[in-house]
Amino acid sequence: MIQMGAASWLRRWLTTTNHKDVGLLYLFTSLYFGMAGGALALLMRVQLTVPNNNFLSALYYDQAVTMHGLIMILWFLSPLAVAFFNYLVPLQIGAKDLAFPRLNALSYWFFLSGGILAVTSFFVPGGAAASGWTTYQPLSSPSFQPGPGPTLVYVGLLLLAVSVTLGSVNIITSILWMRTRGMSFSKLPMFTWFALFTTGAMLYAFPTLIAAFALNVSDRLLGTAFFTSPALLSVPGIDPSILWDNLFWFFGHPEVYIVLLPAFGVIANIIPSFTGRPIAGRNWIIISTALVVLPLSFGVWMHHMFLTGIPLSLQESFDVSTEAISIPFGIIIISFILSLVRGRIEFKTPFLFVIGAVVLFIVGGIMGVFLSSPVLDRQFNGSYFVVSHFHYVMVGATIFGLIAAIYYWLPRMTGRMYSESLGRAHFLISFIGFNVLYGPMSLLSDMPRRVFTYPNTGDLGVVNEIATAGAFIFVFAQVLLAYNVVHTWFRGPASGPNPWGSSGLEWTTDAAERTPAADTEAPPRGGWIGQLASSVTAPTQEVAQDPSHGHGLHTSTRPFTLGLGATVFFLGAPFYPSMSGLALMVIGGAVVLYTLFSWARDDLGERFSVPDEGEERYPFSALPKVKLGMWVFLSSEVIFFGSLIAAYLFIREAVVGWPVASSIHDVPLGTANTLVLLTSGFTMAMAILSIRKGNQRALLLWLATTFSLGAVFMGVKISEWSNLASAGFTITSPTPMYQLAASAYYFLVGLHGAHVTAGLIIMLYLMKKTLSGAYTKDSHGAIENFGLYWAFVDIVWCFIFPLFYLL
Amino acid sequence: MIGLLLFFAVKYRARKGGPPASKGPESVWVVLAVVLIMGSVLAAAGYQSFASATNIEIPAASNSVTITVTGFQWGWNFTYPNGHFAIDNLTVPAGRDIILNVTSKDVYHEFGIPMLAVKEDVVPGKVNQLWFEVPDPGVYVDAIHCFQLCGVGHAFMIANLTVVSQASWDSWMSSK
Repeated sequence: MIQMGAASWLRRWLTTTNHKDVGLLYLFTSLYFGMAGGALALLMRVQLTVPNNNFLSALYYDQAVTMHGLIMILWFLSPLAVAFFNYLVPLQIGAKDLAFPRLNALSYWFFLSGGILAVTSFFVPGGAAASGWTTYQPLSSPSFQPGPGPTLVYVGLLLLAVSVTLGSVNIITSILWMRTRGMSFSKLPMFTWFALFTTGAMLYAFPTLIAAFALNVSDRLLGTAFFTSPALLSVPGIDPSILWDNLFWFFGHPEVYIVLLPAFGVIANIIPSFTGRPIAGRNWIIISTALVVLPLSFGVWMHHMFLTGIPLSLQESFDVSTEAISIPFGIIIISFILSLVRGRIEFKTPFLFVIGAVVLFIVGGIMGVFLSSPVLDRQFNGSYFVVSHFHYVMVGATIFGLIAAIYYWLPRMTGRMYSESLGRAHFLISFIGFNVLYGPMSLLSDMPRRVFTYPNTGDLGVVNEIATAGAFIFVFAQVLLAYNVVHTWFRGPASGPNPWGSSGLEWTTDAAERTPAADTEAPPRGGWIGQLASSVTAPTQEVAQDPSHGHGLHTSTRPFTLGLGATVFFLGAPFYPSMSGLALMVIGGAVVLYTLFSWARDDLGERFSVPDEGEERYPFSALPKVKLGMWVFLSSEVIFFGSLIAAYLFIREAVVGWPVASSIHDVPLGTANTLVLLTSGFTMAMAILSIRKGNQRALLLWLATTFSLGAVFMGVKISEWSNLASAGFTITSPTPMYQLAASAYYFLVGLHGAHVTAGLIIMLYLMKKTLSGAYTKDSHGAIENFGLYWAFVDIVWCFIFPLFYLL
Repeated sequence: MIGLLLFFAVKYRARKGGPPASKGPESVWVVLAVVLIMGSVLAAAGYQSFASATNIEIPAASNSVTITVTGFQWGWNFTYPNGHFAIDNLTVPAGRDIILNVTSKDVYHEFGIPMLAVKEDVVPGKVNQLWFEVPDPGVYVDAIHCFQLCGVGHAFMIANLTVVSQASWDSWMSSK
């Protein structure tokens, strides 16, 4: 361990699947993106310091404002929280690692890939996206915002959203399934509770984001016409902008809570260390969050749309739901305040940031209640009052809360203690700078957001000048944080194993280690993979038990190369059909395919060791881990397809004169093909029943039948598409209505086809494994899990078929 | 609430020889009280919000003036009942209900007059309505802004509001 060369250092970080290593990768990468987003913010503040300034051009300003929002929310705030989920959740629940370590590493690399794509957009001709982080349509469509830069940002965002979904499946499954003996829900630490809440909200909010941006990217890359076609803009009643608003804010408002809740988890988790008392109203906090905040967060999105011309009654009902969601937050805040009563409070740096976060949340939250009113929205919407409001919540509550987490758990990560006096100075200067920055903004309810300059009227100039001064104070304070962290990491005094006297498991398990992966020695010849492959004995089901190794010893290059391949592929995609774009796509695509193939081979050879299972699995004791993960994932897919089908219905509803289905599609053929797919669902069920009885030959036979039926289904689909295309039913049809109908048809049916094709490929893998005798009566989890997936694909078709062929 | 937070934080700070941290159970009824208090405050706020919401509703057409507003990249087109149109200057008569039908020629804009606290999204393919009334004649420079990012000209989508007396409005409307 002592002497690690650069090569092995690099190999460790590129191939690690250890949750603590991945947590640190998330931590430093998100802090890097935070600095990038902060730099953009400073550029904007400099530009706005005085009226009629021309430090930045309008285009550069719009790019800065757009990328600042996207980077801060999606590549800084959430991933910073995910860093702590990664690092702490397994420690807090007493698990050796997360449920799916390689998937976890893959989540990280997709997150980084997406970020690299987004940032690269600044350096391509035309620059980055410039239509706001909300990506309103049709401004974000190729008609109004052409060029490869925005496309790079949006595909980066898709990769990020995939990463978030995979990460959520992983963390949820881990918390439900990997708890150590005795770690019942009643004992679960508060931070882990909030990790569960946050990832739960992510799981159901991000599919809609994926759906929205998939439609957007499809317009930009494939030429569909959901938001673009100028012809469509002339058809009365078609308002793609409103479709976008609905999709975006159905994701966007839950996202606010996704950003906020981890900070609340930190606060609830660490207050007791500084008061010497348990948190007050623990169960109330959990119940209000689980039963009110989470479900209701999906029912308030239209308060972003009071001005879009929706009926007054709808505005009023969203007024009520938005006000209602402030009640559970009231309970949570009061619980935090009451937790101080009769305590013995130590004003250490993390606690100062906790107090700061709660104070700023109260201010921001009350401004939010103002915004819930449709009448007041006429005053505040689109103004700097809104900017002030959401920065009080996102910077004030979330960042202050997560900074508390950095100080509090830094000794756990490094074994060293930060400088308390520097920490207090950091808090004081941050708090002052923050309020000097965002306080005055709340007065600017007349000034529109996202203007790159403003006329010299009234005291606009003075207020903006003060805000800019505040921005510099706030940024200076963060330099102190960076210095403190780096200094602690290398030079800090020993903290002792449990400096806060906490009873949390994360402090009591292997606390002696100095760095998170100190157990990573220089890898042996052939790497850890080779060594593990020989030591794995008789894997049971999916879980290869290997008592001989501690955690952290399994590595894999696959997640990294998959992320790399995806980055290269998507770097090329916006430049297609230019030669260089095509070359990048081919290279990237080849790397992705090779990696997927190798990943499957790793599994065929049982080359990767999966962490031990947990002992507390209530209420999922009967469900195997991967199956639980599959259920969690499919529930997210339901929202994904649901959002797309809802978008399709929205378009159909708005349009008069949609082409009659039977005039386009061959309905008898479609019906026959539907029967083929449904039959394959039946044969897949037979495959599962066969192996449950232990009959491997029957399993192979039924799998082959299912595969053939699936292949027939796809074959018929492809011939249908070529017939439709030669009949003129294409996305470039000169008739706007056909263009729109074709866009919807090819997109949704094509997406389903992609799912079927993925299923066919997986079946090849399953058949190969069946041939080698891998599945037995007691060990055939993969077959069961695939059965779930295949059933889901069938069910989706049961919705798509009538919507396109019959209605 | 902030005061309470700071008060407790200071009151129960750790002091030499101070009382040790209590391990007693927290009082659950406090949370219930919070729900009741917050509930009634919000109900009052909600009632206010609902009562004033009728102000958003468009008044009956009698005695009102309807003007069509078309947002474009980057400016405002105001078209009057007599077919006249003007760019970046909205002229209305004082003391009458003004109804604006707002729509967009290209992308999403947002029409707002902050001094009157009115605002409405300007959506392509859709006509939205808002209304207001200004009692006093005068020229209100830069009173109208766009509040939705709509491209590089967003900051310059500013228009004046000119309020004229009924008499000059009538003569202007009958002119050609």
